[in-house]
Order: sequence, then C-alpha cells, then structure tokens
Amino acid sequence: MNFSFGNYLSSDCSAVRNWEPLGWVFAGMNFIFLTCTMGLATFLLVESIPVWRSEGLAFWLGENWWVGETFGALPMICGSFIVTGLAVLLVLPVALSGALFTSEYLTPPLRRRMKGIMEMLAGIPGIIYGLLGVSFLTAGVKDVFNLLDGNTLFTAGCLLAIMILPTVLTLSEDALRSVSSEFREAAEGLGLTKLQTAWRVVLPQSLPGIVGAVLLGIGRAMGETIAVMLVIGSLDRVPGFNIFVSGQTIPSKLGREAAEALGSAEHWSALMGLGFTLFLMVAFITICGNYFKYWSGR
Amino acid sequence: MARYQRVWAGLILCLMVGFPLETVADTGLRVQIVGSTTVLPVASRSAQKFMQSSKVRIIANAGGSGVGIHSVAQSRADIGMASREISPDEKIRFEKSNLITHPVGLDAVACMVSAEIYQAGVRHLTRREIAGIYMGKIRNWKEVGGPDREIVVIDKERHRGTRHVFMNYIFGNALQRTPGTLLVTGSNNEEQTKIAQSDSAIGMLSFAWINEQVKAVTLRDQGKEYLPTWKAVQQREYPIVRKLNFITAGEPRGEVKAFIDFVKGPEGQKIIEESGYIPIGGN
Repeated sequence: MNFSFGNYLSSDCSAVRNWEPLGWVFAGMNFIFLTCTMGLATFLLVESIPVWRSEGLAFWLGENWWVGETFGALPMICGSFIVTGLAVLLVLPVALSGALFTSEYLTPPLRRRMKGIMEMLAGIPGIIYGLLGVSFLTAGVKDVFNLLDGNTLFTAGCLLAIMILPTVLTLSEDALRSVSSEFREAAEGLGLTKLQTAWRVVLPQSLPGIVGAVLLGIGRAMGETIAVMLVIGSLDRVPGFNIFVSGQTIPSKLGREAAEALGSAEHWSALMGLGFTLFLMVAFITICGNYFKYWSGR
Repeated sequence: MARYQRVWAGLILCLMVGFPLETVADTGLRVQIVGSTTVLPVASRSAQKFMQSSKVRIIANAGGSGVGIHSVAQSRADIGMASREISPDEKIRFEKSNLITHPVGLDAVACMVSAEIYQAGVRHLTRREIAGIYMGKIRNWKEVGGPDREIVVIDKERHRGTRHVFMNYIFGNALQRTPGTLLVTGSNNEEQTKIAQSDSAIGMLSFAWINEQVKAVTLRDQGKEYLPTWKAVQQREYPIVRKLNFITAGEPRGEVKAFIDFVKGPEGQKIIEESGYIPIGGN
C-alpha cells in the first residue's frame, strides 16, 4: 500500500550502488514484511478457491450461511461495515477534540502524562474490552435504549469506539503536534485566538496524519474478534437499517467457527473466503485513505 | 557510527540464530485434552488430582464437542471431550481415525429461562411450545402463560453438544435451523451469562449450570411431566439425558489410558458427582 515504494527503487538506482552492507540487511527485513503480506493474501485466496468455485459471487451476495449447504457472507460483510462505521463515527469527535486539547492547550508536563495514559490504554488486549462490554455495556445499552436485549451491533460499535479511541487519539495528537510551531506563531502574529489557530491552521496541516490515525483505528476495529464476539449476539442476519439488533461481523464469525471448521474442507474454505473478503475490505479502505492523504497533501 | 552498525547487525543475527535454539527444551510427557465445555470441569478437576501422583502434564481446553471430535481425529489432541455421541456424518468423515468413545458420566440438559420469567409463572413448557419459540412462531411470553414481554431466544453454536441433544429432543433433528433465534452463544458459561443478564430469555444448558438467575422449567410432552431434577434423571425418567464422553483415536495407551481409567475409577467418579453430573456406574 506504499505509494512511494516503486518510485524509490526505480528512480534512485544510483543509491543502490552506494548502499552499505547494513542497508542490505534492512532491505532483507523489509522483504520479510512484504512476503508476509503477499503470502497472507495468497494463502487466503488459494485456501478459499473451493468456495469461490462452488458459490461464485453469490458468496458475497448470499444471505444464508448454512454449513454443508450454502455459504453467503452478506450478513457478516454488512455487520463489519456497520460496526466499523459506527465506531469511527463515535470516535472521531471525541478523539479529535481530545487530541486538539492535548496538543494545543496543555502544558508540556501535563501533555506528557496525558500521552503516557493514552499509550498505555492503546496496548490493552481486546478480551479485556470484551469482558467489560459483557459486564457493563450490554446491560447499559439495554437499559438506556429500552431494548429487548443488549447484544447488538450498536453495542459492538460502542465497544470498538472505546477500544480504538486511545490509538486514534494518540496518533492524531502526534500529527497535530508535528505541525511546525512557525505556523502557530504566524497565526498568533495575525491575531488569531488559540481555538482559531487550532481549527483553521493546525488541523488542516495535520490532516494526512489524522487520516492515517483513523485508518489504523479502522484496521483494528475491523479485525477485532473476541471483544465483538462477546457483545454482538453472533446472529447471521442482514441487519438492514436497524443497528439495535444482533448481528455478526467477519472476525466474530471466524472466531465462532474456525475451530469447528478445521479439517472440514468446504467449511474451512468458506471461512478462508471470509478472511480474504476482510483482507480486501481493509485493503480498499487503506488505499482510499492513502489516496485521500496524497490528494490533500498536494 | 560504525560501532552502532555492528551492534545492530549483532542484534539481528542473534534474533535469527536464537529462535531455533529455543525449541529444543521441554520434552516432558503431555496429554492434551480439548472439547466440550460441559465435560471440561470434570477433565480439569480430574487432571489436577491425577497430576498430584504423576509426572504427566495434562492440559485441558474448551472448544465444544465438535471441536473435541475434530481435534482428536486429526491428532491435534490426545483426548477429545464430547457431551454428545459422534454423529453419523463425523463417523464417515473420520473413519480412518478409528474413534473410540469412553463414557465417563451422565448429564441432563434442561430448557432454561431467566429467573424473572420463572418467577412470573412460567414453570413448565411443552415440547411444542419450545419448538414454536425457536421457530419464531411464539414471540411473547404471554402466549405460554408468562408476562407480556418479548422472548429473547438464545441458541447455541451449531456444533455444540448441548444443542445437539436439546434440538434432537425438541425437533428430532440435531441440526435444526431455528429462525426465531435472537442470540447465538458458545460455551455454557457464555450462555448462562446471557440468560442471567436478560429478564426474558430462554436457552438450553446442562443441569450443572442452573443457579439463582437461570432456572430450569419442567418439560411437558404428551400429557407427561418431566421435572428437571437429578432424581428424575437417575430414575431414567427425564428425557434429555446424554453421556459425557472422552474420545480417543484408536485404543488408548500409556498415560492417556491411565488418565481415562482414573476418571472412570472411584476417584474420578467422585469428581463427576462433585461437578454436578451422575457417575456412569451409579445409574
């Protein structure tokens, strides 16, 4: 997904000659990473070939996932998009305001402490959030919205929002912080208030970085398995426009059925098909995000 | 600068060389057990007792009956736990592995409801009513003598042993599709939590998971009543009874055999009783 990769190798051939030995080691490490990504995609595609053969495009459009008969992934695809979209919608205002405040208003010592807390939270594993979700969030959502049951797409979206908040917050803050102080001084010199400076000068400058932060957040949200699995209700159903019903995401489906499907060719291949679909979804969003960065950077 | 480079190169080299060296350690005897969350308490408690007088390390993990059977058939585990029999389909698929079932205890599955529903007067349900609820034909508790509240229908993952025996009794088909379902859960603990958290849920669980918030209802079928009590199970009256099985690929040998014999023996059977099940010899 790195746009500059091709350019570097082709246009800077002279640089290759000047590489020191360690440069080759670094290149080798980079190659490991590339092999992992490509290898994963190839593995998922190859493993899922049987399901593409038997289902074709109906795999993406089918609504019924009946093991042994038919595999339709639409409920999971919809669920993944809804839950992730919801998480991003919920997280953006909080993360952006929080990042602006931390970066522009706090004094350096306070800011450092704040960052420490954010980074600590970003490292907490999904299962912890999942257990918190089961204990408090489901009951809370049920009571607040007066629902039949609290295990819904909305609950999962909220939980993911809480989960990705520290990541998005700390990375957006980094992006805001990296805007050169000359801009701030110039804005101040023109008589802009702190808020105006932050909103009109710093925020637009750091937009590519913020988009990157949100993309990482989306990646984590889309791939989160266990936390979502515990609160989403795990029902394969195309939810329509109601987010207050139980549903299923691709990772939660994988989490529920992977162990069962091991060794059962057809079922396993269908799950790998789901994995490949998720891979494509994340790749698509990342590419869009990078185009946006590229476009806004010009 | 050059010094740092050497440090870097050294670090990376260590990383590459270090990995293969690590894997040589740890060659103790191990018995891996995987499967049904219903059987899991028995296996892990027995393992604890068994390991006190043995050098063998026993590791018991959850996953569900289907997973237990798959794992043992594909040699990913030494013993599979299953709270149901091996299905005909699985028998055909794993014919080569020569799976052998070792019953270690008896368990019964009850139709569970949230305590609020039980207290509001739903003490018994007929088989037809339960079928109606799971098929989505009955959606409100008032239709079966309860309060005016929608039913939270909780199903289990398709491959779970509890679901197999329950659906087999209700529909005569272990893999029955249930369009009325609102939530799908996995382990017994997960389902127990979801039923307890709701105030209008119905589900299926082993007797051992009955508690203050999760109540078992009496089953009615063709004019007969089946109380969800251990006495009824012991007298062979309660209809949804199943064996708790250990499954091995081929005749068990060595430590695996020793452990299975231990669970079948007096000490193991006592653990079965303590875990809330019925010893296999005591019926």
